[in-house]
Amino acid sequence: MVRDSFAGLHPIINFVYFAAVILFSMFFMHPILQGIALISAFTYSIVLKGRVALKFNLLYMLPMLLFMAILNPTFNHAGVTILFYLRSGNPVTLESIAYGIAAAFMFITVILWFSCYNTVMTSDKFIYLFGKMIPALSLILSMILRFVPRYKEQIKVISNAQKCIGRDISQGNIIQRARNGIKILSIMTTWALENAIETADSMKSRGYGLSGRTSFSIFRFDYRDKIAFTLIIVLLFIVLLGATMGENTIRFFPSIKIQEITVFSIVVYTAYFLLCMMPVIINIQEAMEWRHIESKI
Amino acid sequence: METYRIKNLSFVYPKMEKKVLDNINLQIDGGEFVAICGKSGSGKSTLLRQLKTVLTPHGKREGEIYFHGKPLATIEDRVQASQIGYVLQNPDNQIVTDKVWHELAFGLESLGYDNSTIRLRVAEMASFFGIQTWFHKKVTELSGGQKQTLNLAGIMAMQPSVLILDEPTSQLDPIAAYDFLETIRRINRELGTTVIMCEHRLEEVVPIADRVIVMDEGHIIVDAPPKSVGKKLSEGNHPMFFAMPSAMQIYKSIENNLSCPITINEARKWIDAILPKKEMKKRFVVEEHIDRSKNTIIKIKDVWFKYEKDAADAIKDLSLEVKQGDFYCIVGGNGTGKTTTLSLISGTNTPYRGKVLVNGKDIKKISSKDRFRNNLAMLPQNPQNIFVKKTLELDLYEMLIDTKFEEKEKEEKVRKVVEIAELEDFLSMHPYDLSGGEQQRAALAKVLLLEPKILLLDEPTKGLDAFFKKKLATLLKKLKKQGVTIVMVSHDIEFCANYADICGLFFDGGIVTTNTTRKFFAGNSFYTTAANRIARHIDPEIVTIEDVVHLCQQS
Repeated sequence: MVRDSFAGLHPIINFVYFAAVILFSMFFMHPILQGIALISAFTYSIVLKGRVALKFNLLYMLPMLLFMAILNPTFNHAGVTILFYLRSGNPVTLESIAYGIAAAFMFITVILWFSCYNTVMTSDKFIYLFGKMIPALSLILSMILRFVPRYKEQIKVISNAQKCIGRDISQGNIIQRARNGIKILSIMTTWALENAIETADSMKSRGYGLSGRTSFSIFRFDYRDKIAFTLIIVLLFIVLLGATMGENTIRFFPSIKIQEITVFSIVVYTAYFLLCMMPVIINIQEAMEWRHIESKI
Repeated sequence: METYRIKNLSFVYPKMEKKVLDNINLQIDGGEFVAICGKSGSGKSTLLRQLKTVLTPHGKREGEIYFHGKPLATIEDRVQASQIGYVLQNPDNQIVTDKVWHELAFGLESLGYDNSTIRLRVAEMASFFGIQTWFHKKVTELSGGQKQTLNLAGIMAMQPSVLILDEPTSQLDPIAAYDFLETIRRINRELGTTVIMCEHRLEEVVPIADRVIVMDEGHIIVDAPPKSVGKKLSEGNHPMFFAMPSAMQIYKSIENNLSCPITINEARKWIDAILPKKEMKKRFVVEEHIDRSKNTIIKIKDVWFKYEKDAADAIKDLSLEVKQGDFYCIVGGNGTGKTTTLSLISGTNTPYRGKVLVNGKDIKKISSKDRFRNNLAMLPQNPQNIFVKKTLELDLYEMLIDTKFEEKEKEEKVRKVVEIAELEDFLSMHPYDLSGGEQQRAALAKVLLLEPKILLLDEPTKGLDAFFKKKLATLLKKLKKQGVTIVMVSHDIEFCANYADICGLFFDGGIVTTNTTRKFFAGNSFYTTAANRIARHIDPEIVTIEDVVHLCQQS
């Protein structure tokens, strides 16, 4: 993975950012805003994951977009501008095509945002955020993340050990297979209980259960975070203001209607663009800075 | 200043008659490095667990324990948690959280320190233990040695005055174990932390300890500095003597009045001093009778294997031949592909190039049923992975559940393996309640019910003490006599040197060299037994302790 400067910001900023852009791209169906969101999400996913993302986007997202755009008008026949009739006698309307495209855009954008979210919001950030709210939860989450992979690994080890004495779940008739499967689970349970005793000992020995437990984190809210956070808040404010003025939405049915483009709407678009592109901008800015320093060396 | 003072301590587990600890008297001073050894079940772990209140098992206790002059029971848990550090056996079980940095902070979080204090302590510990490079990693990405180091660092972050370790290296490979022990020694030397450790790896531990305590049947039988432990043990003719470092064993077998060597280096000087110069040229020859005309039972030909399409090759161009009835040992470092090789022989993994032939047939073409009945069997590294039932007896019968034998026949078969593996006393016990060595034998008995002709063993001596190793060796010898071919993967050089017929050194996905055991170890200069390292400058053919003793007695 490429190093991402935005991911280096405080988790709360990462979280607020993703919550905002994901919600916005779900609710703001205005074509310009949608375009901004899609382009930003697309760019950021490539910044984060490089070639893999590009391949994924073109190979899966593009066909999906086309498929959904075509699917809608074949089922949805609302709208006043009739283009032609299907063989079944149902009309195909301009509005339903437009809506199909918009819905597909929205869907793809949200998927792309989530793929970025998964890369940036690692488990420890998530744990930190929720640990702030409920301290006991942070340890539980951390333990789950420790033990689920461990048990998965152990199941593999046990099933291999069973295979080596001729007890294979992939062979034999269905009853034999089921019996071997249950056997593996039974061994797993005993193993887990037995080994949990030592884990409990290790926790007790390190003072778990004493009153006044604190929750340590490696994150610090620094000056850079303050600037980024203020910026996000300001941009959010402008975009939400636009939303209350009805700038961000579009009406599809019965006929398409968008607010006229004014100076204020351009301000809203710019704010939304800056908000969505923020991680990319931060990355570019940092890369330029670096090049500048490097050229001096 | 004294750290611990134990007065007339006795302990009995609930519903048991026998005292696990019987009238123990012991004083441990601040900054001391105390090694406790003894057979499994001699009460070592029970004694250590008495030293921290939260870990003390239920049972009836008599006598007193003082910590820094105060009765242990009166010291509050918070103080005990930070002052008494406790490292347990299994590195994996002790790790609670998913990230290295979180694990380091766990104890400090419990004690309620604020963020900046924890940050400092964690940073200090990470630097001391060299954890910086993997500070942000997930714990699943660490090796066994790193995990145990992490556990130790997490405890040291609480700045304990005494460190108690219960067989901390039993699950580690020799290199990782050596590094870990070296770290313990550093903590003891540089920080002045008192160390109390029980260990099976006496070859490495005895030289670094200030004091060695030997336990047997709940008593302390020897409590002395390393130099005189050997003398005291051999006077009582105690079996624990054979677990002591090779240098000490050799020293005691030869009559002399020099001081007792402990390390290899000391032993080399000692042997030079007692051997007259003119004898140096005399060769020590032992003929090895290996019948080369026997049938080849396992043949691996130019095999390549990788776990995933894009992964690096785990096995590279491996060729290997095992003759019928041989005891074949594969030794080598961690992650070189030894265990993978076993999985290729048993057919659980398939090579992408080359062939694995068992009895001349391609292993993949033998059906699973024929492959594992009367043919191949593999003992997994952790014997716990094959126990299913409530008692050992039921567990053994479970193995025959798919077969068409009569009740009588089944009984006869179970009786036979129980006899071979010496499990008569444990039949009604839960398999998990057996000790490590007993579990190993029980698992082996289970596997033997498949009546294998080829037995594959994956590190069977891991975590076993010298006594159980000897028992395992006798058991393997019995099987060999019955014509069973044994292929064993191991880190345990001493065990292989003493019992194997053929040894192969595994490195970087292939076998580098194979030879009969004696020639194999004679040809290596680092990867060889302690006895060989002691006496190789006199005669490189010397491999075992008996050889050295024999050599000395000849001259």
